[in-house]
Amino acid sequence: MIGDVIGQSLRQPDRLIPVETLLGNCDGSRMPEIVADRLTPAIAQRLVEVCPTAALGMEEREGQSCLRLSYGECIGCGKCIEFGEGAAVTAKQFTRCGVPKEQTVRRWDIEGRTEITLSAPSPEAARMQIHSLLQRALNIRQLDSGSCNGCEAEITALTNPYYDLERFGIHFVASPKHADMLLVTGPVTRNMAEAVKAAYEAVPAPKLVVAVGACGCSGGIFAGSHAIVGAVDAVIPVDGYIPGCPPTPAMFVTGILEVLQRRIAK
Amino acid sequence: MKENLPTAVPHSERTPLGTMPTIPRTKEGARARLVTIFGSLSPTREKRVHYIFDIGNPDYREIVLPADGPLGSITPEVPAAVWYERELHDQYGIEIVGHPDLRPLLFHDNWPDGVYPMMDPVDDVPWSKREYRFLQVQGEGIAEVAVGPVHAGVIEPGHFRFSVVGDTVLHLELRHFYTHKGTEKLFEGRQFVNGAMLAESVSGDNCFAHAVCYSQAVENACEINAPPRAAAIRLVALELERLVCHISDVGGLCTDVGFGVPAAYAARLKESLLRESAQCCGTRYWRGIAVPGGLRLDLDSGKVAQLAQVVARAHREFSEVARLILETPSIQNRFETAGILSQEAARDLAAVGPVARASGIDLDARRDHPYGRYRQHQIEVPVTHYGDVMARAKIRIAEAAISAQLIQEAAGSLPDGSVFTPLAAPGDIQGFSAVESPRGELCYWMEARGGRLTRCHIKSPSFQNWPVMPVAVAGNIIADFPLINKSFNLSYSGCDR
Repeated sequence: MIGDVIGQSLRQPDRLIPVETLLGNCDGSRMPEIVADRLTPAIAQRLVEVCPTAALGMEEREGQSCLRLSYGECIGCGKCIEFGEGAAVTAKQFTRCGVPKEQTVRRWDIEGRTEITLSAPSPEAARMQIHSLLQRALNIRQLDSGSCNGCEAEITALTNPYYDLERFGIHFVASPKHADMLLVTGPVTRNMAEAVKAAYEAVPAPKLVVAVGACGCSGGIFAGSHAIVGAVDAVIPVDGYIPGCPPTPAMFVTGILEVLQRRIAK
Repeated sequence: MKENLPTAVPHSERTPLGTMPTIPRTKEGARARLVTIFGSLSPTREKRVHYIFDIGNPDYREIVLPADGPLGSITPEVPAAVWYERELHDQYGIEIVGHPDLRPLLFHDNWPDGVYPMMDPVDDVPWSKREYRFLQVQGEGIAEVAVGPVHAGVIEPGHFRFSVVGDTVLHLELRHFYTHKGTEKLFEGRQFVNGAMLAESVSGDNCFAHAVCYSQAVENACEINAPPRAAAIRLVALELERLVCHISDVGGLCTDVGFGVPAAYAARLKESLLRESAQCCGTRYWRGIAVPGGLRLDLDSGKVAQLAQVVARAHREFSEVARLILETPSIQNRFETAGILSQEAARDLAAVGPVARASGIDLDARRDHPYGRYRQHQIEVPVTHYGDVMARAKIRIAEAAISAQLIQEAAGSLPDGSVFTPLAAPGDIQGFSAVESPRGELCYWMEARGGRLTRCHIKSPSFQNWPVMPVAVAGNIIADFPLINKSFNLSYSGCDR
């Protein structure tokens, strides 16, 4: 009976995770972090070889050879962690969610064993903005442009009692016409390209677009397929990127709040 | 070791339509169930077509026909072949004579005629504009309702074309493959380990079943077995995936009838299992764990035992709330008699998984074609014959209980030892494997030369079950469609690949 179901539910403990705990959390995503001290040319070469996508690569910058890690292309397979002899570890914190594309890439000087730039937003800065963010509503339309449904599964989790995105005034809506933000998952397939453009057109200005997952950010493991057009930004303009394969719910919260914060700061 | 491998018996007949396979019979004399049909190229690039049938415990049978000339369609005799033959035509340009409907399946209006991705170079395929005709249902008072590809909700894309009279659906036509990513082609040239990563991205919520099935196909081809410890951990994770999927589905059914409280309850239980999975293996959906040869990393037995405890608790709560849900009169009112799939239709279209079992078809690869650690467990297979939304919900609830039980058994007796057997560098090899994924029988067939894949075919249960769903929808009111669709719980990406 309905009363029994509700009664049973009310007896359950509260599971809501405080937002401070969620921001920057990436448990369960296996996003890698480079330990600069452990880098050698041989290890860097090994990392590049084992990477199944082009997330890890070598670059020449001002005569220095450096290691490039593009999180937008990383599928979190963990091979660099497995074979990197300690030079790659599972990240404890990951804040490059919802950031512009250039910030999804990090570079390390291999000889000098140092990171070349450090431009990630600090979780502290994001935290300071939360109060102002919470006063605003945001309507999101999720758009699958060809995803494997891994990202959908995690987006669905955002409304469960652990994450409860509604507490921030953020709702998922049924039509692009009701949306402030498009959350686009998957590489854009040939067969979806037209529908993605049409959905984008239907969103009222200002249109916020967030590309989600390795596929949305870069094409991920499907990059180069004859049946896809490319990453989301090959078809429509993108404001922020949330890497991961799939991103965890905490990474989505971090990313969505980051995009909002940058929009407000503008 | 190779008991799951199909035996290649070239059975064929020449007919006025072209070469056709002789449909094998089961031991009881019935027509064998079609498992999959796919094409491949011989080392000298001659086209071949593989037909795989289930001839009963424990064997599958493979029939391979040369296909450089036209083939006779088996769809008129075996309706379940309908999409497979269209796919063959799209991928290889094989002429299928006598097929009732050879419209393009994988590629939409933008794809040029005469370009076959498994045969031709596809680096720069031009954009085209060709016509696609939906079936027209004509008559007084008939209206068409077009839905999708972009749907309301967090869901994958696909197009549904309803022909309705008032509220009642006369006919539903599907147009899918919006998420077609050319995955089978992407396997070509990959090393075995990287193939597992691609398999995980075929259907993200069933990624572990895909990784295990692919890995077993490679292991069968190399004639090795994953070590017992790896096989046991695979069983735990496969059953966990099923449990998560079924809990989520029952919650989804409640959402679709506006019963939000148990839906949130189910979402909470699901999340508790995903979080514990991340604690146990590092990823929420067990990505990056299974590879050909076993597992990428060994898991701590203590953490597996802890996972089993969380499973036991989650399942206890789930079974209690599921009982309360099914006792709710408004739920009974919506679930019962909605979307009835007859046993005959399910058999003709070779439905698999919970959908088949809810329509009286007693079928489960874990029991009928046991693999890995399942050889050491008795698998109970719940079957009911009503075929409505309620039957599918009850099958899922019953299966969730069996999965929870299997997890306890397997986690309580994890063997010691390594979790990885290295694969010998092989020459030309072929392998096949079937796994009972949460959505039903999933199969991988692979071929490799010199340690690199040359072909990998994925038979996903959703590809098989999507053409079944419209049969169950016809005659229902259109407002019940989301509920019926949810009760089938099919993966768009798994189907479209």
